[in-house]
Amino acid sequence: MDDNLEQPNAEAKPLLGNEAEEEDQSSGDDDEGPDWTKLMPASSRPIIPKRGDKEFEPLKQGGSGLQQHILLRSRNAMFEALRATRTISNKTVSYGTWHPTLARVSVAVPRGTSMNNVGHTVPREMVMPDGTMKTQKRLELLPEEGVYLIERGSLMCWKEYTIEYPNDGTFESVTGIPMTVQQAYTEMIGTEDLTMDRYQVYAYLKRLGYSVTRSKPPNAFYPVAGLYPPSMSALSSSYILQRIFSTFSSWISGIFSPLFSRAFDWWRPLRINRWLRSEKNHSFMFRSLRFIPSGHKVPIHSHTETTSPYEPFFNLYKPPTPFKKSAPPPPDYQMVVVNARTTPMPSLSELTAIYDNAPELPLPLPRVRNPSQIQGVSYKKNAAGANIPLESRTTKETITPSMTIGAANGLMPSWFSSRTSAPSKQNERRVNPFAVLRQGTKTAIVATVDAGTINIFRFAQGAFETGPWY
Amino acid sequence: MSSNRFRGGPNKGGPRRQENNRIYRYPLPLIFSDSPPSRVRSILGLLGLSLNQVLNPNCEGYYDVSTRSVWIVTQRDSEILWRRGFFGKGNLSRSEPSWFVRQMKDRKSKGSMTSEEVREKRRADRKQFKLDRAAAIAKVAAEAETIFETEGRVVVPALFGPEIPSGATWKPSTVEPEADAGLEQEQSGDAKDTETKEEPEEEPLEDMEHLQLTLQEAFFLAWNLDCLSILDPDTDEPLSLSEIWMTFQQVYLAPPIPNSPPPELQFDNPFLVHYAAYHHYRSLGWVVKSGLKFCVDYLLYKRGPVFTHAEFAIVVCPVYEDPQDQEISTTQLQNSSPFTWSWLGTINRANSQVMKTLILAYVTIPARSRVSRSVLNSPACFAHYSVREVIVRRFIPARMRD
Repeated sequence: MDDNLEQPNAEAKPLLGNEAEEEDQSSGDDDEGPDWTKLMPASSRPIIPKRGDKEFEPLKQGGSGLQQHILLRSRNAMFEALRATRTISNKTVSYGTWHPTLARVSVAVPRGTSMNNVGHTVPREMVMPDGTMKTQKRLELLPEEGVYLIERGSLMCWKEYTIEYPNDGTFESVTGIPMTVQQAYTEMIGTEDLTMDRYQVYAYLKRLGYSVTRSKPPNAFYPVAGLYPPSMSALSSSYILQRIFSTFSSWISGIFSPLFSRAFDWWRPLRINRWLRSEKNHSFMFRSLRFIPSGHKVPIHSHTETTSPYEPFFNLYKPPTPFKKSAPPPPDYQMVVVNARTTPMPSLSELTAIYDNAPELPLPLPRVRNPSQIQGVSYKKNAAGANIPLESRTTKETITPSMTIGAANGLMPSWFSSRTSAPSKQNERRVNPFAVLRQGTKTAIVATVDAGTINIFRFAQGAFETGPWY
Repeated sequence: MSSNRFRGGPNKGGPRRQENNRIYRYPLPLIFSDSPPSRVRSILGLLGLSLNQVLNPNCEGYYDVSTRSVWIVTQRDSEILWRRGFFGKGNLSRSEPSWFVRQMKDRKSKGSMTSEEVREKRRADRKQFKLDRAAAIAKVAAEAETIFETEGRVVVPALFGPEIPSGATWKPSTVEPEADAGLEQEQSGDAKDTETKEEPEEEPLEDMEHLQLTLQEAFFLAWNLDCLSILDPDTDEPLSLSEIWMTFQQVYLAPPIPNSPPPELQFDNPFLVHYAAYHHYRSLGWVVKSGLKFCVDYLLYKRGPVFTHAEFAIVVCPVYEDPQDQEISTTQLQNSSPFTWSWLGTINRANSQVMKTLILAYVTIPARSRVSRSVLNSPACFAHYSVREVIVRRFIPARMRD
């Protein structure tokens, strides 16, 4: 580990086991500015270390200008790259009109792939060319979608204007006053709950290829995301069996426990029976010490706050997720956006409110070759049987959707679980137990924005009380 | 911490590891007698019964008000409590009370290095490595300058490569057949000096170190396992469990006013809140140590600090069930208000840098309106507290696209 700290180079660290996973936490390349020299033809590209120690220190006698020369070369590369004229094909430009009263951009001419996952159709009363009114469906964009497309050069936007003015026939389908990018920013941000912070998060995610929609539909025609499949643990047959088994065993123990154990004495919590062999080991001792209520299932006796800034605002779909904009599937993630300076971090009750509506995560997959997947587990990994490496599929008891942490939860309330939980223990051996604890059962994602800098945290609902124990 | 000595995964063998497995084989101070096999025993075993006895080490410690800790002064008790569950900390050492061993070693100048010495040597080595590397980089840069000056050819000076030592390739420059031998010689040289000086006044070395237990640790041992009696330093008499319970709470309350009743017990006593968290993780089998060096309250070790690095860093976040209780409270309970984002980021950065996962352990404090404060007279009040975790990590969308 020390070795990695020592190396001042730009080589990717070899990702091994735990370290690979933790690597996700350190700052990534996405935090840095672009390397302009990459835009030059390969032959003239100098190599610049991306991070690490300073490349050189000034010499006493002064250098020969080598460093100056290298620096100049890189700087020129940047200017060359910036100097190029930005062009866009006419075939991929859409035309739209901004309606300030509706806070929507209606798209008269949708073109290009960037329209595939933005916008929704709304029936609106419209004046037909012959002067009659008619309800017609049209494609409309939310303000953030409008600003994003305008800024990226995919949408030319006019502002709705009531006074007729001569149309020279260039853009037959659009009327109004042409809008600049600046105008779009000033007019569109601030409408329909869109703040600058939220727009910045939206644009950041869109540039990474995510499909982003609103969690709370802004109007009745906005397509609602599909519901999460009902909690896997509640349905699976093994869970029902476990329930039966655990009620049965607690019933049995209810009969026998008065014979062996006394009432719980708070001044002497640990009682080891003189005779019973099963109580003469350390795991029994640890088990009998687990009497302080724990876990998120314990009710919080507190009054719920009236308004919370912690309501999911965006639904996120990863690039590979099949996304149909008229009927979006359940989102991969839901994200809250807050201002880092004005909103303190969420309180326990605010987090609990998010968890109440969040889907339960499956157990993490056994360690995979490509560790980039480990950090973000979405609910869909339930169905990811195909992702499980072959070697772990050889036994039947590998991850099945039913074996969620939730299913294990059902077992744990009784302290007799050491006997009943044998199958789940076998199951857990396949995955890294620390990964299970680290992932938690549910997740809340909060993007904090401070003057344009975005930092995103993940608050997972922990379940230490469900084991594994040491 | 002291686990730095043990590089490599938990499955790596080696004599040292085996020795540790032997020394630290008990997770708790209570152990069970192992009666020799006999016929009676095997019959009882079939019936699920056994005659094995619980062996209680019956340790003793002194309560110290000013440091809010319990001092274990005998070497036997210190050793038991450290080796069986890693309780406490030597007051003159980093963790395990090793002062006496270090002193003896200084006198005899042989035997293995203590963890403090290993650390010193590592630091010296690392410093030398950085100097060597800087020199090598400067040399390469100077060569590139010369080439540019004389031939006009641009050679970007390398920051790594065959000519520049890395952590993997660097060796201490005093490469003798055995680096350790050199070190030992040096030490024995030192020791000879001291020996010659001190030889006339050689006196038996007294162990000046004690093991100090936090109040949470002490109460855990005294209450649950009944293996620690806590003595009043003034009277030398053991305190009863209910006296301990009251004393440990009152030390966090306002100082008593003479000739007036002691201050009323409070639900938000820091002792109770931290004890609930400490007990929760201990009961799950984790070894819980102080996390002050990592901006947190506790660190969780699987098995113990000599085996692995801590896996989780715990911040205890008290939550008042009734926000009004917080307003009228006289206790300034740490972390009871939400962190700013910058502070959360700070703790998370500090811990993810050392491969630990940050956990916010929320401990709920019962509302006065819901629970009568009379329950505070006994540990039964813990039934009204609850502990739950929230795991904090950064979410980086650029890495999670597929």
